[in-house]
Amino acid sequence: MTDGLEALTVVFTEFYYWITVVLMFLIHVGFCMYEVGASRYKHHQHTLMKNTMLIPLVTVTWFFFGWWIYWAFPTGPYIAPSIMTESSGLILGGGFGANELANPMSPVMAVNLNDHINGVFWAAFLLFSWTAASIVSGAIIERITTFAFGILAIAIGSVFWTIDAAWGWHFDGWMLKLLGYHDAYASGVIHAVAGGFALGVLAVLGPRIGKFSSSGEPRNIGPRNPWLVCIGLFLIYTGFWGFYAACNIPIFDLGPEYGMEGVTFFTATNIYVTPTTLSGITMTFLLSLSGGLLSGYWVSKGDPFWTYSGGLAGIITASAGNDLYHPLQSLIIAGIGTFIAYKMHYWVERRFKIDDAVGAVAVHGYAGVVGLVICGFVLWGYPSSGYDGLGYAAINPIGMIIGAVIMFGVLGFVPGWILAKILHGAGKLRIPREVELAGLDYNIMEAASRDEKNVASANR
Amino acid sequence: MATVTSWVEHLSADEVAGAVYPFIGTEWLWLTIAVVFWLWFHVATGTGEAEEQQKLARKKPSANDYKKNITDW
Repeated sequence: MTDGLEALTVVFTEFYYWITVVLMFLIHVGFCMYEVGASRYKHHQHTLMKNTMLIPLVTVTWFFFGWWIYWAFPTGPYIAPSIMTESSGLILGGGFGANELANPMSPVMAVNLNDHINGVFWAAFLLFSWTAASIVSGAIIERITTFAFGILAIAIGSVFWTIDAAWGWHFDGWMLKLLGYHDAYASGVIHAVAGGFALGVLAVLGPRIGKFSSSGEPRNIGPRNPWLVCIGLFLIYTGFWGFYAACNIPIFDLGPEYGMEGVTFFTATNIYVTPTTLSGITMTFLLSLSGGLLSGYWVSKGDPFWTYSGGLAGIITASAGNDLYHPLQSLIIAGIGTFIAYKMHYWVERRFKIDDAVGAVAVHGYAGVVGLVICGFVLWGYPSSGYDGLGYAAINPIGMIIGAVIMFGVLGFVPGWILAKILHGAGKLRIPREVELAGLDYNIMEAASRDEKNVASANR
Repeated sequence: MATVTSWVEHLSADEVAGAVYPFIGTEWLWLTIAVVFWLWFHVATGTGEAEEQQKLARKKPSANDYKKNITDW
């Protein structure tokens, strides 16, 4: 970079994304605390390690192929034409099989003096991937093998959410063009897909021993440490704030980008390169958090676990349209989504004997789906893209409902169910019954007890 | 092998090469090693986990036996 202003813009953007990555790390800290707080004492350490180990597993696979999938699959392939052509001037290496940007052997997948953005953008998306895998992790605690979870974490974190991001989040995505899909802060792209995937796994994995009575009545296995759960969810809120910023492009001149001759318009944009402001989404974020907390508190009769989860469900519900909603619309939409998610959780639990240990399917999956559907009605008629002349459908309810089915069902539930079936068939999915009863940490605790006795009886 | 031996020469070139990491051109080798290590990790840890759990399952501790092992330190 030889121009001072260009350098300032680029380095600001680089630093902006770097900050979001650090903030989003708190999501994972929060998920770890939340899961350990929700698990029973005899499973604590394995629960923690299961969620921790998804960090390296998803990171290396995200480097190997996850990031490549995002840039390779926006058009399907072969579902809709790409706008990344020479005529649009948007070519990045283009089309299926793209591209030099994300190939793990590419020179820009490292320190590169001519590129300041790819690495931080890669990392921001990676943190989204951890979140997708971590959502699944919470639902299945205390009975899945760490080996099986590692496979499932890679599948959701580096493959399936990435495909849906390419389809419904990439500015060249076919779902924008054909369906008018709009999901600015990932109600569906991360939350519905991960919730659906978790449900698919749970359907095969089965409940924890003791969760249901012989007559099928569900029993509450409450969080062992509500304070840890509380702090965990506060950290998730904080990280989610960073996530909102990470879904924006901080500064962009849309005039030349949209091919408007002589027009200059600098703004922040959402992931689709359509205008929004960081200031505005700060309001929608806070009002949707509030709507979720209010609704969660009311519907659960003041239960702390569901009140905190309600705050998260509220944000997730409103996220699809929070780049454009009025804050009061966010508040109402969040409240509706939280109410439905709570009711759905208990209905599914009773009806299908699904043991979702932390309510992840409800908070992320059902709330995400509700958010997509509502967005289709409230933002009906808005353009799904700024590239107007290039054949993008407007946002509409039908497209958003189809989009919700794709996110929750096609790329979430179905792959989760199939993979869990394969792992189950190989005898690798669930821990032995005796181990579940004894506790995953039994050997560790026994060794610690032995050490304690040896140290206590030592005289030198 | 160093890709850059003089920053002055490197940055004053007509076209500055972006990539500065060592052994440019051998990325395929590092990728292959990394993929093999990743796959090995799954096999090794998965096998170890299954063996440990089978061993514990054979001991059949009761659901409350872990309480005897809660330490005070």
